[in-house]
Amino acid sequence: MGSLSYLPQILVSGLGIGCVYGLIGIGFCVIYNASGIVNFAQGAFVMLGGMVTFVLMQRAGLPLPVAAVIAIAGVAGLGVVVERLVVRPLWNRNATMFVMILATLAAQIVVERSTLLLVGDQPKTLPMFTDRPPLMLAGVAISYQLLWIVGCSLAVVGLLALFFRTTRTGKAMRAVAIDREAAALQGIPVSRMLALAFALSAALGAIGGILITPTQFTAFDIGVPFAISGFIAAIVGGFGRPFGAFLGGLTLGVIQSIAIVSFGAGLKNVAALSVLLVFLFIRPSGILGPAK
Amino acid sequence: MSILRVEGLTRRFGGLVAVNDVTFDVAAGRITAVIGPNGAGKTTLFNLISGAMPPSEGRVVFDGREITGLAPEAVARLGLVRTFQLVKLFSDLTVLENVKIGTHLHARGGLFAALLRPGWAREEERAVAKAAADLLDFVGLGDLADLPAAGLSYGRQRLLEMARALAARPRLILLDEPAAGLNAEESARLSAIIRRIAAGGTTVLLIEHDMTLVMNTADEVVVLDFGRKVTQGTPHEVRNNPDVIAAYLGGVEIGHG
Amino acid sequence: MLGAVPWVFAAGLVGYALVAGGYMATVVSFALIYAVFVVGLNLFMGFTAQVSFGQNAFAAIGGYSSAVLTTMFGWEPLPAMLTGVCGAVLAALVVGYPTLRLKGHYLAMATLAIGLITYEITVEWQSVTQGYMGISGIPPLGLGKWTVTSDRGQLVVLIAIVALSLFAAARIRASRLGRAFFAVAGSEEAARALGIDVARYKLAAFLLSAGFAALAGSLFVHVVGFVSPEVYGLHMVILSFTMLYVGGIGTVAGPLIGALIVSLLPEAFRGFKDYQDLAYGVALILLLIYAPRGLSTLFRRREARS
Ligand SMILES: Nc1ncnc2c1ncn2[C@@H]1O[C@H](COP(=O)(O)OP(=O)(O)OP(=O)(O)O)[C@@H](O)[C@H]1O
Ligand SMILES: [Mg+2]
Repeated sequence: MGSLSYLPQILVSGLGIGCVYGLIGIGFCVIYNASGIVNFAQGAFVMLGGMVTFVLMQRAGLPLPVAAVIAIAGVAGLGVVVERLVVRPLWNRNATMFVMILATLAAQIVVERSTLLLVGDQPKTLPMFTDRPPLMLAGVAISYQLLWIVGCSLAVVGLLALFFRTTRTGKAMRAVAIDREAAALQGIPVSRMLALAFALSAALGAIGGILITPTQFTAFDIGVPFAISGFIAAIVGGFGRPFGAFLGGLTLGVIQSIAIVSFGAGLKNVAALSVLLVFLFIRPSGILGPAK
Repeated sequence: MSILRVEGLTRRFGGLVAVNDVTFDVAAGRITAVIGPNGAGKTTLFNLISGAMPPSEGRVVFDGREITGLAPEAVARLGLVRTFQLVKLFSDLTVLENVKIGTHLHARGGLFAALLRPGWAREEERAVAKAAADLLDFVGLGDLADLPAAGLSYGRQRLLEMARALAARPRLILLDEPAAGLNAEESARLSAIIRRIAAGGTTVLLIEHDMTLVMNTADEVVVLDFGRKVTQGTPHEVRNNPDVIAAYLGGVEIGHG
Repeated sequence: MLGAVPWVFAAGLVGYALVAGGYMATVVSFALIYAVFVVGLNLFMGFTAQVSFGQNAFAAIGGYSSAVLTTMFGWEPLPAMLTGVCGAVLAALVVGYPTLRLKGHYLAMATLAIGLITYEITVEWQSVTQGYMGISGIPPLGLGKWTVTSDRGQLVVLIAIVALSLFAAARIRASRLGRAFFAVAGSEEAARALGIDVARYKLAAFLLSAGFAALAGSLFVHVVGFVSPEVYGLHMVILSFTMLYVGGIGTVAGPLIGALIVSLLPEAFRGFKDYQDLAYGVALILLLIYAPRGLSTLFRRREARS
């Protein structure tokens, strides 16, 4: 392991990626709470967030903010498409959990391969949102992109909290999460909530993807590792608790960046996945305990 | 001689005490019935005895050996096998295959036997098939051997589950409401089957709501109400016990109120 | 009688490939390699009704063991294959023990992670695997001086291996071991009440399945002569599930039929190759929605009606 003076730097960079994992983890929870389904295609939304933004900027010449907003809306729309074409028919047929997982995983592959056909296999990246040298704070370099990531993530989490607490739709979604049948009896349109959950979850994934792409790259096949990391975040936070998932994401991000310093960047996914396995074996109910 | 003894057995679910300090003995070779109103804790009692869930307090002694907290498969290996109130058949398999699975403990073939089928394995397979067919005849399902188990009527599924449990050659068999779904005639036939099981040396502990069956079949009756043992005795003693009458009349009325 | 139809179909196709040789023989060879993999998958998922999205990990262990041992250490293919299979089974034992205690989504995600971890390791452990470059020059199947180099020769060997695998699956199905697997699939609670050690049989099915996966992974590298991480990527998981569902999950012939159909269909359409994985994904989704127990059940229902 590197010397201790690296530690603050490691923590800082871990928080950046951790926010993104957290957003993806919240996405898992939102769908899970609405339906009991774990959407294994979650990573596709993350990949598409960065990819669609890239394509809009490159090929249509749109400025970043416009491209990003269109990308988020488009990916949210795709979330609804996945729900309508894949999840809903299976749901109506009372498919087993395994079949549902396999189908969403297949949807992931379909998105992945379509992307490959459309844009090729070369990694793409986005420009930094603010192109300036990093700030130095007490010997720790903080890039502007990191500030964007943390800022946007916190804003999204805050808005989400407001949405769940104050709006009718948000409250309805919470009611569904607590007891689907009781919610249905109260006249909440449970199936529309499912579509909404997919849209929300896809948008969260896309936002995460757009935020992180300038610091690394995006390619057709980056989705699954992100999905698994998001899932880990959700588990660490106690599955089904959106804000626990965000904390879980931060935890995972920090662990991962420590692993990068210790073992090299190549094995960062191995490290994250090992965290998942260790966590599942030792404490499957998460740090905060299970939801409900 | 007692083959099973439960002592101070208690199981709580949160605030609810489903089984409350229950103590009794089951005499070897006899037929003992556990009766009580809905929700009295009978199935929970079976779950505790068979290892399906651990008790909160108390112990279970089977054949002189403490089995409290043992895993269900370990309990079965010692010769204590149960059936389920909500039948749990292997519904994709045939009736015969279900009973064959019951012989698991008394056969030994593994991967090697499966792939190479040495002489002893073929021998064993023949014995398994014969034992399974005999048991199906015994419970009266012999003609249905090749049907899918899921296709049987509810009452017959219970009989099949009983045959499957018997295939494990238990020394004590726990039957959870074996007569549910049977008509009067079938129920009378079941009574005869249960007596033959006991006559064959297998001790029977059964839960039953069908009082005719209990009175005609059981040697001993244990009465539960609200998780507690109300009384224990011969069918005749129990039938005339004022506490039992109160529990039944009161319990049923209040329990469903 | 109707039970013979799939076998006749498979024998006809494979026989035709044997006579035709050339490209057709190559395509059917790949199908047969996949069939071995799917036979293993079927033991674990069809017979025992457990979930693993990470069997590609064991194929990778088999394939890379073969590749590394033959090219770097000059081993004969056969002992290299055997070592790979044993290594994979051992790995399955180590991972399976804690993993199989998990249930539901956790089990699914953990197995998916195991596949992905293995993939990342094959990419990153460059001193041994040469990363994305892959390993080439892997010798063909053979024993001592006698090597199988012709398309037809390879096909004959693969036919023998697939026949043995299917034979093994059929025998397991009709044995005490197979009954225990089906019991676990039917009801864990009932199985345990009958004295069946559920955890042990899950693990046994997992190990068997890993063994078949490793065998398939290793056959692949000897037939192609080359290996790279992508060979055992996530698409392998989706492809093998598609095959299992097309052929019929839980049946003996299913893995072979599924592997043949899914491998040969793309050949029927020109220019279809680029869209293969995409099409498999779509096909799998449609199958899961409209024929969740496999295509064969669609036919069965139709038979029953007519
Ligand atoms: N797993 C469980 N968790 C919580 N409560 C339970 C559980 N199992 C049983 N109970 C409760 O314990 C009580 C006893 O249930 P049990 O099934 O043992 O009754 P029973 O005597 O078998 O009734 P019945 O005649 O209807 O089968 C009931 O109030 C039931 O709701
Ligand atoms: Mg009961």
